[in-house]
Amino acid sequence: MLKRLNESPRLDIVIAVVIAVVSVTTAFAAWRVSMVGSAAGDAIRQGLIDAVKQQTAAGEDWRRTYEEAGHAQTYAVALAQVEAFENSNDKTAQAQASTMRQYLLPNLQLVVELSSNERYLKSDGTYDLELRYADLAASQPDMAALDPQASFKRSDQYSSEQRWLTVGVVLLAISLFWLALSQLDTNRSRLVTLAIGAGIYLFGLIWFGLVELIFFSVRGGVL
Amino acid sequence: MTEAATPVKAESSERYKTLIVALTMITTIITAIVAGLQADANIRANAANRDSQYYALLASAELRRSGLQSSYDLNTLAAVLRETQTSLMMQFTALQSEQSSDKFGAALSNISALAAQARADKLRSFSIFYTDPRYAPASLDEMPNTDSYVIDANARANELVKEQNAAADAYHVWNSKADSYVGVLTVMAVAFFLFGLAQALTGQMRLVFVIFGTVILMSASAWSLLILVM
Repeated sequence: MLKRLNESPRLDIVIAVVIAVVSVTTAFAAWRVSMVGSAAGDAIRQGLIDAVKQQTAAGEDWRRTYEEAGHAQTYAVALAQVEAFENSNDKTAQAQASTMRQYLLPNLQLVVELSSNERYLKSDGTYDLELRYADLAASQPDMAALDPQASFKRSDQYSSEQRWLTVGVVLLAISLFWLALSQLDTNRSRLVTLAIGAGIYLFGLIWFGLVELIFFSVRGGVL
Repeated sequence: MTEAATPVKAESSERYKTLIVALTMITTIITAIVAGLQADANIRANAANRDSQYYALLASAELRRSGLQSSYDLNTLAAVLRETQTSLMMQFTALQSEQSSDKFGAALSNISALAAQARADKLRSFSIFYTDPRYAPASLDEMPNTDSYVIDANARANELVKEQNAAADAYHVWNSKADSYVGVLTVMAVAFFLFGLAQALTGQMRLVFVIFGTVILMSASAWSLLILVM
C-alpha cells in the first residue's frame, strides 16, 4: 500500500500543497518576528524619550531648588544679623535691626517658597532641600508618571520573544527544506522525508504558538 | 554495447547524490543555527546600545545636579570664610580705633564685626563643610576636608559613567559578533551554491564541487565557533 502511495501522482500534488502552506506560514512567521522586533525597538525609543523628559524635568527642579536655597539662605543670614543686632546693647544696631525687620526681611521672605513656607524649615534654622525638590517633582504628575524602566522591561520581553520566535522560523525553514527534498525524491525514501518535513513543520507551528501564548500572557494580554 | 553502457551511466549520475543531499541538509541546519545566533547577537547589541544611551543620559543629569549642589555648597563655604574674615578685620579695626581714642569709629566697627559674625555663624549652619562630620574640621583653626567632598560629589556620576562604558563596550562586542555572523551566512550561501552546482553536474566535476563546498562549509562552521567563543 505504501509503495502504491509512494508512486501515486497525487502525492506530487499533496506535497506541492503542503509546501505552499508551509511557505505561507513561514512568511507569516517571518513577518511576526519582524513585528515583534519593531515593537522592541519602539519600546526602547519610548523609554529613552521618557528618560530624556524625566531627567530634563528633574534637572530643572534641582536648578529651582538650589536657586531658592540661595535666596532662602540670604533671608536666613539677614534674619540672623537682625537678631544679633536686637540682642546687642548698641542703640544704633537696634535701630538698624528694627528697620531691617520692618522693611528688608518681609521682602526677602517673599522672594521664594522655601523661606516663606514653614514646612521646609528645619529645627536648626536651615531648609529641607530634599523635601522642596520632592514637592517640585510631585507638582508635575505627568513627569512623575513616566517610567522608562517599564518601557525597557517591555522591550526586553519583546526581544526575548523575538529570540524564541526566530527559533520557530528556523524550524519552519528546515521543514520547508525537507518537503522540497520529498518533492524531488523519486525513490522509497520520499514518504519518509515528507513525514519528517511535516513533523518538523507541526513542531515549529506548535513552538511558535506556545511562544506567542506565553509572552502574550506575560505582557498581560498585549500582543 | 549501448545496452551495457546505460546502467553505468545511470550509476554515474546517481553517485554522491545522497552525500550531496546530506551535506546540503547539514549546511541548512548550520545556517539556521548561525541565523539564530546572528539574531540573538543583534538583540543583545540593541539592548546594550539602549543601556549605554540611558546611562549616558543619567550621568549627564547627575553631573548637572552635582554641579548645582557643588556650586551652592562652595558658595556657602566661601561666604562663611568671607564673613569670618570680615568679622575678624572689623574687630581689629575696632581695637585700633579704641587705642586711638576714636570711640565712634570703634562702635561702628564693632557693629560691623557683630553683623559679620552673626552672618558667618548662620552660614556655617548652612554649610555641609561644617555640619557633615565627613568634611567638618576637627577644630576652628583647620579647614574643612574639601578633597573628600569633591570625591563624594562626583562618586555617583563616576559610577554611572563606568556603567555607561561597560554597556558601550558590550554593544561593540555584540554588534561586531552580529556583523561577523552576517559574514558567515554569506559564506554559507556560497556553500549552498556549490552543492547546488554539484547536484546538477556529473562525474569528476561533481566530486570537485562537493569538496569545494565541504571545505567552505567547514571553514564557515569553524568561523562561527570562533565568533561564539570569543
